[in-house]
Amino acid sequence: MMEELLAILTEAVPGVDFELETALVDDEILESLDIVTIVSEIKDAFDVEITVDDLIPQNFNSVEAMLALIEARQN
Amino acid sequence: MSFTTLPFLILVGASVVLYYVVPKQCQWVLLLAASMVFYCVGGGKTVLYVFYTAATVYTATLALGHWNTLKRNAPKEDKKAITAKYKPHRRAVVAAACLANFVLLYVLKYWNFTADLLQPAVDVLIPGAQIPLSELVLPLGVSFFMFQSVGYVIDVYRDKYQPEKNFLKLLLFVSFFPQMVQGPISRFDALAPQLLAKRSVNYTDLKYGIQLVMWGYFKKLVIADRTAVLVNTVMDDPWSHSGSVLAFAIFFYCIQLYGDFSGGIDITRGVARMFGIDLAENFRQPIFSTSLTDFWRRWHITLGAWMRDYLFYPLSLSKPFGRLGKFTRKHIKGKLGKIIPTSLATFIIYFVIGIWHGANWRYVAFGFWNGAIITMSLLLAPKYVQWKEKLHINEDSRWWHLFQMVRTNILVFFGRYITRAPRFLTAVWMVKETFLHPHWPDLWNGTLMTLGLTGGDFLVIALGVLVLLCAEWYEEKHGSVRAMLETKSPLVQCVAILVPLVVLFCFGVLRADYISSDFIYKQF
Repeated sequence: MMEELLAILTEAVPGVDFELETALVDDEILESLDIVTIVSEIKDAFDVEITVDDLIPQNFNSVEAMLALIEARQN
Repeated sequence: MSFTTLPFLILVGASVVLYYVVPKQCQWVLLLAASMVFYCVGGGKTVLYVFYTAATVYTATLALGHWNTLKRNAPKEDKKAITAKYKPHRRAVVAAACLANFVLLYVLKYWNFTADLLQPAVDVLIPGAQIPLSELVLPLGVSFFMFQSVGYVIDVYRDKYQPEKNFLKLLLFVSFFPQMVQGPISRFDALAPQLLAKRSVNYTDLKYGIQLVMWGYFKKLVIADRTAVLVNTVMDDPWSHSGSVLAFAIFFYCIQLYGDFSGGIDITRGVARMFGIDLAENFRQPIFSTSLTDFWRRWHITLGAWMRDYLFYPLSLSKPFGRLGKFTRKHIKGKLGKIIPTSLATFIIYFVIGIWHGANWRYVAFGFWNGAIITMSLLLAPKYVQWKEKLHINEDSRWWHLFQMVRTNILVFFGRYITRAPRFLTAVWMVKETFLHPHWPDLWNGTLMTLGLTGGDFLVIALGVLVLLCAEWYEEKHGSVRAMLETKSPLVQCVAILVPLVVLFCFGVLRADYISSDFIYKQF
């Protein structure tokens, strides 16, 4: 799952080391357009429902946080 | 009540003194009383609209808070059933609260524009019938306090925090007087706890507040109000001027608008800081923007953030946009198919930001201008990457960065033709004149000296803009100028307060034919 998510992120926002970054939103590496693109991809790839309520910085600051969000929604 | 009037200064001075004199548990009551005085003295009936918004928001959030509590306190196995049971109620309440405010805003701000549009159709269908026009006066800061309040309702709906149960405390959040003229649009969780905090006098807060207020007045009185003289002279009769003079007036309008709006926000934040309240930033050196998207992240930040959280995200993640996304991915291969829904949502947001400014074809066109450019840049992004590779452009080079800044400021400059011209078609004509009949000698043959400003005024504007640019550059590179001053000796700090004060009095307040114009964003 991690590899698939990393592939989505790298395609959506090239040139970012997603495995190292831990403040993607707080440091404005990801902006709103990127987040919406990533969410659309995640919804399709993992068949999960992500709503507006999930769009908070904590859920998108790192690849681990995104993974945790996906797993929470799958459960 | 304008920020540039004596009654405002008296209100601020008296409120600050009393704030630290009254018992701490009454401090928020004093802020509320000062806000009501501000409205009653300066805004007349505006206070009724503030009460209306506060009442609708209060009722809605209490109901939402009740259902949120039921859900929160329910046993784990019942949570889903309770959520499903109250979902229609919650949606109805949040929709009702939004409608109650936005319908009123529509009537106040856009009804007459709509009536003018529909009247020709009515003339054909029902000859002689007249669509009634609204005679309501647009209340002071209505867009700002309604957007702030609706944001609060949506946050409670999303269960981000508990609703305020004390109506008067909520009324203070809706009506806190420094931010009522032109924002910023604050969030409840950031502002309300600060409004209700109990405070002792804090020297640093007072000093920062006064410095920020003076910096704001410098931008407004010394720079913006001076440039306004030339801008108004040209725009009152644009047809009598050559294309170069029109371009020069728009250039001055860019300076005026930034000095006026960011100066007003500095005064707002400075006054709030004197009460120990730290309001959200609304500007972050927009002149250094490298794209139009970047510009809107740095200009009127709180409006952009509001649009992002309460319109862009819900729109982008809505079911119709989800279906559109699936359709475009299936039928349009590659990145284009993926980004079409996001691009469409982006266009809608910038279009809404445009018409947020007012009911006029100029603002419709302004929204279209920004939306179209940003959407095109999104759609063409893959092509840009290819072009940059072909041209061997180093994205990290200083020259590329400078090119991006110049390009963005040119786009913003042409956007200002639309918002400042008396009418949209006049703006189109003005752009045409700039390119086709510029008559460049008008910029140095003395024509500019006939537009209401003296040579001394031009010098003051030039020096003022230079000081402003230096401060902006410093903040972009190193951070807060005030924080830097804090590290200097008391003597330097005193000079840093006294010099601007003298400049303000000499070139702002005591200007011979000084007439302060109202804040531009007040009308929005």
